[in-house]
Amino acid sequence: MAATFFGEVVKAPCRAGTEDDEEEEEEEEEEGRRETPEDREVRQQLARKREVRLLRRQTKTSLEVSLLEKYPCSKFIIAIGNNAVAFLSSFVMNSGVWEEVGCAKLWNEWCRTTDTTHLSSSEAFCVFYHLKSNPSVFLCQCSCYVAEDQQYQWLEKVFGSCPRKNMQITILTCRHVTDYKTSESTGSLPSPFLKALKTQNFKDSACCPLLEQPNIVHDLPAAVLSYCQVWKIPAVLYLCYTDVMKLDLITVEAFKPILSTRTLKGLVKNIPQSTEILKKLMTTNEIQSNIYT
Amino acid sequence: MASRYDRAITVFSPDGHLFQVEYAQEAVKKGSTAVGIRGTNIVVLGVEKKSVAKLQDERTVRKICALDDHVCMAFAVLTIFVGLTADARVVINRARVECQSHKLTVEDPVTVEYITRFIATLKQKYTQSNGRRPFGISALIVGFDDDGIPRLYQTDPSGTYHAWKANAIGRSAKTVREFLEKNYTEDAIASDSEAIKLAIKALLEVVQSGGKNIELAIIRRNQPLKMFSAKEVELYVTEIEKEKEEAEKKKSKKSV
Repeated sequence: MAATFFGEVVKAPCRAGTEDDEEEEEEEEEEGRRETPEDREVRQQLARKREVRLLRRQTKTSLEVSLLEKYPCSKFIIAIGNNAVAFLSSFVMNSGVWEEVGCAKLWNEWCRTTDTTHLSSSEAFCVFYHLKSNPSVFLCQCSCYVAEDQQYQWLEKVFGSCPRKNMQITILTCRHVTDYKTSESTGSLPSPFLKALKTQNFKDSACCPLLEQPNIVHDLPAAVLSYCQVWKIPAVLYLCYTDVMKLDLITVEAFKPILSTRTLKGLVKNIPQSTEILKKLMTTNEIQSNIYT
Repeated sequence: MASRYDRAITVFSPDGHLFQVEYAQEAVKKGSTAVGIRGTNIVVLGVEKKSVAKLQDERTVRKICALDDHVCMAFAVLTIFVGLTADARVVINRARVECQSHKLTVEDPVTVEYITRFIATLKQKYTQSNGRRPFGISALIVGFDDDGIPRLYQTDPSGTYHAWKANAIGRSAKTVREFLEKNYTEDAIASDSEAIKLAIKALLEVVQSGGKNIELAIIRRNQPLKMFSAKEVELYVTEIEKEKEEAEKKKSKKSV
């Protein structure tokens, strides 16, 4: 049992395992020793299926080394989730010529498509671009869910095992406002709103307030930020709490303050045109659901 | 924290939340935005129309519904429900039956407040029975009473109802409400067309594809309800855009 930040007592999940597990573990080990070759085959197949592969899109060959070992990088902007991806597509990618350098293909239970060989531009999982006029500026559009067991592989394939420290990472992502823990009621929160979390080596100031305790970051953004903290790379995460998780104009526009930061200032030129592109993205991506009126 | 107290509707959490009701309010936020405005002589209801699938018949996707229509005095009670479509249909049917039953029993048409209270009581019953879930809908109910005063009420899944001068429900309702708080002035509702324009302007703040995705209905005192056609909405939208341009020109002249 543990006391939480706001005073209630809850049972905290323990990652070391509970007391009940010990007896079961012994039995499982015995059974494990009796694992058949078929079980092993299935496990290996599953591991191969869940492997994260980094490919050069045009040639469809795998990259032999990690992406950032192959190409020098000074700035890396990663958008995770559909709203963050839409923000970068309309505000950053239309203000310069971006060339695709590769993509990451992966499969897990959350993937909606089963065909991982033919990627259309709307379904591409993780696409990496660099700016033609300044090839050390990288951008990643990640619109798929990277599962916990795949996050480490993703990091290895992208950053490598010994990354350079002279690059700056910016991560953009969204989270539902009901995940935001605060003593106020969620009805009074000005959603969507932006919060930031940065590594120790990130010396600039963030363009919005920092994420307060006891809130935490989840999934791939957390993995990237932790990786950067461990390797002493300056990185900042901008997290947008919103009450509309599907592609939404107001949520995407909530990322606008980031355009004034040092990282993005030089990269953004046509803001009115960007709003037009964003509106077009919205209409083409509307999924019709009749459940909600 | 919430997981132990949100499985059953009839269980309070230690800090006094009824989580199922709060989650029902989240379901409302998944519906498209609706706005209601009470003018001096007019009530306006506007809603964002979702794009209809190619093979779907548009007539079956009407959002603004009349609850009652008193032929002699030519007024009506209009409503719009936002949230789960199926829940909305069930509540509308019950409300319509109640309107007629009231007319037969007391020989008077329902007042807007009466029918709002009926809908709210119905919703509250479902937050206190076991085995049932709350209705995942909020409603905006507008109309004129016998005394000729315009009314706008809003209900939510918990069964509360309040009278409003102007309100919005559904997705991005907060943004629209803030716009209304800034722009609902005595001048803004002075004339009928100004009230209509205010409703359209409020919706344009959040509607992604402009005037063609707005459904609008009005009731003027002693006149039957009027549903706007797409062309009529477009006319108002063009007028609004013209006014905006002129305001901007004036601003730039002043600054020069």
